[in-house]
Amino acid sequence: MKKGNPMFSRARIPYGTWGSSFFPAWQMSPLAQVNIAQFAGEAANYIFNKRKVPKNTLDYLIIGSTVPWHWKFWTAPLVSSLLGHRLPGYHMEQACATGLQATVLAGMEVQSGANDVVGVLTFDRTSDSPVGVFPERRAYERTFALSDVWDNFGFDPATGNAMITTAGIAARKHKLDRREVDECAFYRYKQYFETLESGFLDRLLFPFELLNVQGRPLGKVDSDAGVRQVTLGGLRGMHELDTCVTSGTQTHASDGMATLLVTSKAKVKELSTRPEIDIQFIAKAEVRTGPSLMPEAPTLAVQKLLGRTGFTMDDIAVVKNHNPFAVNDVIFSRVMNYDWHNMNKTGCPLVWGHPQGPTLTRALIEGLEEAVDLGGGHVLMFGCAAGDVGIAAILKVS
Amino acid sequence: MANTMREATLKTLGLGTVLDIFRNGKLPATAGGLVDRVFGKAGSRGSLVVSGANGIVGAGKSMQLGSRLRPFDVPVVALDFPGTPDGIGMQYPGLVRGFGREQAGRIMENVISLRYDGTHLPERLNGYKPRFLLEAIPEVLDIKKKHYKLFRSSYPKIDIRSVTSGFPSSQLGVGIAHPAFPHEINKIWEIVESKPSPGTQLFWALGMIPIPVSDDWSFVLDVLFCGLMAAGTRYHEASNMPYWKMDKYIRKHLGPNPFRAHDVIGAKGANFLTWSCLHHCGKNYGAVFEPTRELVERKESGQNWYPMNHFRPLVDWSLEGEEEEEFKTWILGPLYQMTSLLLREKRSHLSHMNAIGELCAQFRHGILAAIRRLGADTVLDLVKRYHKLHPEAAKKSWYPDVFGTIEGADWQQLYVNAEHDGNAGVITISRESYNSDVDAELNRAIDWLKGEGIERVILTGDFHLSTQMIGADTSEFYAGLNDSKAGLKVAKSWSQTARRLHDEFKVSVGFVNGKRCLGGLLELLTHCHYMVALEDAELGLPEVTLPVVPGMEGCHWPFRKTDAKKWPKLFELLLTGRPFKAKETVGWLADYAGPMDKAIQKTWKIVTGGAHGLKMRKVKTGPLKGLPKSVRGMKSPDDPALEATRKAIVDNVRESCGATLAEALDIQSKHAAGFMTGPLCRKGRIGAEYTKTIVV
Repeated sequence: MKKGNPMFSRARIPYGTWGSSFFPAWQMSPLAQVNIAQFAGEAANYIFNKRKVPKNTLDYLIIGSTVPWHWKFWTAPLVSSLLGHRLPGYHMEQACATGLQATVLAGMEVQSGANDVVGVLTFDRTSDSPVGVFPERRAYERTFALSDVWDNFGFDPATGNAMITTAGIAARKHKLDRREVDECAFYRYKQYFETLESGFLDRLLFPFELLNVQGRPLGKVDSDAGVRQVTLGGLRGMHELDTCVTSGTQTHASDGMATLLVTSKAKVKELSTRPEIDIQFIAKAEVRTGPSLMPEAPTLAVQKLLGRTGFTMDDIAVVKNHNPFAVNDVIFSRVMNYDWHNMNKTGCPLVWGHPQGPTLTRALIEGLEEAVDLGGGHVLMFGCAAGDVGIAAILKVS
Repeated sequence: MANTMREATLKTLGLGTVLDIFRNGKLPATAGGLVDRVFGKAGSRGSLVVSGANGIVGAGKSMQLGSRLRPFDVPVVALDFPGTPDGIGMQYPGLVRGFGREQAGRIMENVISLRYDGTHLPERLNGYKPRFLLEAIPEVLDIKKKHYKLFRSSYPKIDIRSVTSGFPSSQLGVGIAHPAFPHEINKIWEIVESKPSPGTQLFWALGMIPIPVSDDWSFVLDVLFCGLMAAGTRYHEASNMPYWKMDKYIRKHLGPNPFRAHDVIGAKGANFLTWSCLHHCGKNYGAVFEPTRELVERKESGQNWYPMNHFRPLVDWSLEGEEEEEFKTWILGPLYQMTSLLLREKRSHLSHMNAIGELCAQFRHGILAAIRRLGADTVLDLVKRYHKLHPEAAKKSWYPDVFGTIEGADWQQLYVNAEHDGNAGVITISRESYNSDVDAELNRAIDWLKGEGIERVILTGDFHLSTQMIGADTSEFYAGLNDSKAGLKVAKSWSQTARRLHDEFKVSVGFVNGKRCLGGLLELLTHCHYMVALEDAELGLPEVTLPVVPGMEGCHWPFRKTDAKKWPKLFELLLTGRPFKAKETVGWLADYAGPMDKAIQKTWKIVTGGAHGLKMRKVKTGPLKGLPKSVRGMKSPDDPALEATRKAIVDNVRESCGATLAEALDIQSKHAAGFMTGPLCRKGRIGAEYTKTIVV
């Protein structure tokens, strides 16, 4: 995994075959009412249509989601049948690292020669998450009822702490200044709305009209509903929930899907509308940081990745991360001595939300599009995940 | 010596022309006489055997033929393997719905179910004296041939017809009577035989619609419908569009929803039959027919095309701009190419070819009428674009030259024919609902007769494809829902056509030869100087139930021909939508009603100036006086929409009757068009159909 040697010589991401839904905040769109796997399958099929990719060219599907959905047992064959082309494949999940990890796994499928065109389809519905009932007669309570999203956010069973607590602990460890965190969050909103205004997101986000069971309109999913303009004064005035964490400097739960393809270099010509653009997998790393320090884990993962590959931040054209807390970005900036103004230029999960499974998929798509606009370069993707884990990867667009 | 615009379709059955019917004063054949010829005379009468009787086709046809042959004491022997599910029994609820419990019981009494092992016929069959075998066993050529051999060895004189979904008669060694779905009620049979047989004529005499076709692979309906499936699945593979949504676009542009139809018929069987048709056609006619991978997979799996109920479609699809044009190219291009093959092989009379799509496959316009609307150049261009998308298809079975005859009478008179004997003429309409195609053809037929110097004319159905006249084709009103000018154009131009029947002939007779004559077609026929009808035919103006306001002069023309004492009857007709038996309307709507032969004879006497004993009811040209301001005695509907529609109709009656005949045409057209753009029509059946069909 040295600089210049891609981790997968055979695998490529064909430019422009990807797409994502908008990520409306939880309970703010018709997605709150649907089987999200069905939505993901049908939406992916629609996206492939618009991308001129016949679904029958796919020969394997990796799906990624973190919140249980109806008929989850049937994993990729079911979701691909909803896409209109029943395929072998599997389901994977790694909390908010799901999107990036699923993409890397798809690269492995192609690299190994097992498959030529692998779909990555990630999705989650945080709205009205299922409640699991776990009979455990040995336990004091004998039976646990667990609301999948909120009860997990609120309690890491390995450490006993909530997600938000990890942000506070990490902020304190790195002696962050609330004012800088607020400024960073404010800047992230500014970046998002400028990008939205520019039309950049039209290249990757697809609006959808949903139908009820009678086939009549149920509603539209055509915006990152719930994202509102903020002011710096407004952010500064917000109640601090933990150190440097307010409702304005943390993400929000949302619903959505995102998909992309991974294929062989030879197949790119068939699938991509711009086959001259080459997108390679360069390297990937993961770390686990100390208990309840999750927001610093991505930084450590990037450090590890750069250390192993020989890259420096000067080699990177696009920096994009999954930042459920603005704290994440400020820690990264401080540790890596990298100006947080230069990252997440087209938006980030802090602003557009946190449906977990597809979060890093959308971020990755945005990052690749940004690199194409720059004429190519290395794209550094990273983010945190439940369990105080950080993941990072470098892709090369040329 | 008779002259005709084009060949009467009745002639293809060996039954002469419609003009012959009137000249001879009777129908060309009777069911009783033909039953004698096919099954033997009473006392020694044989049976109809349906083999494979528990299948979808066999069971449906056992019921359809059983109900029609029961009055003639022809038993139906339903033959099948032991252990096959009881397809006949499953038909019983439908029979009860159609005929009532008592009649259904009697029909079932006449169906004898026998089982056999496929190699030996049951001895009991001898007792039923098999005379006619309708074979509906699986589509395997060798099995079918052995089956015929088995029957012929026991019953050498038996007449055999196969319902095969695609094998030519030359391969099977027997004639073909290929029926259309749904088999219990669809009257169409595509017939392959060297010359019209008594069996085929019997089908006609029993009220069904046999259509002679050439002996080639597959049939007209199957080429069109299976071809549509080939085109649809090919577009699906290119675009990913789900089948349910494709159905909506196909319905918008063509009429049918073929994928849904397969599921309704039963995907397992229907997928196989469609594949089988395309497989054989593909081998013989090339890539335009070849089954796609999707179809091959579903042929094996029998899987439905629509998602299961728990996955009813969630993400809607839409086609924008050029995407919809590309969709049309993928779907219509191959259909037009396939049609060129049908024309090249002279598969059937063009009116038949055209009607099959409408009568059996829900095509809004027959395939030839659709091509005619577009024009040959547009069609050629469309197929050319299709070949760019699917180059393999261009290599075989594309005959652009066949569209060179599009201006000929066979093409131009698909629905309306005219014949004359130098003195009297007959105009026949073969479409059950009136649309702009029929209107244009009717005008051409009138022009032709006038050009031939004919001043006496009968307007009627064609005694073949059209067994009833159900009124205006409501899809013609879609444009009028949003644009009053479009509605006005329809109402006015159709009324002008209708007036030609009155104004441009010395004598015109409207003859209702089928079960019913309703709506626009009744309005059309009332324009004739006389109207004759079968005594039990239903005459009605159901517009109020849709709701629309009658716009082909139904709101004033009949009033002008009728004594004021009978106006309450006309109001009842208009405001309730309830039809009357023709015999109840004599004197105020019909001029004569009687049984078939008498009605035919009366019509001929009228048109030829014979002693018919009827007085022509003249149309009053001035304003009518004494129309009531409101209609009394009409039950209050307790339905605001119906009440408002009735008021709109009464307003039309009052204003158009209150004007001169010349002024009334515009007045009534404006009323009809104005109502069409209003909320009641949009919320009614036409608005709902429009939304379902066109707003995709």
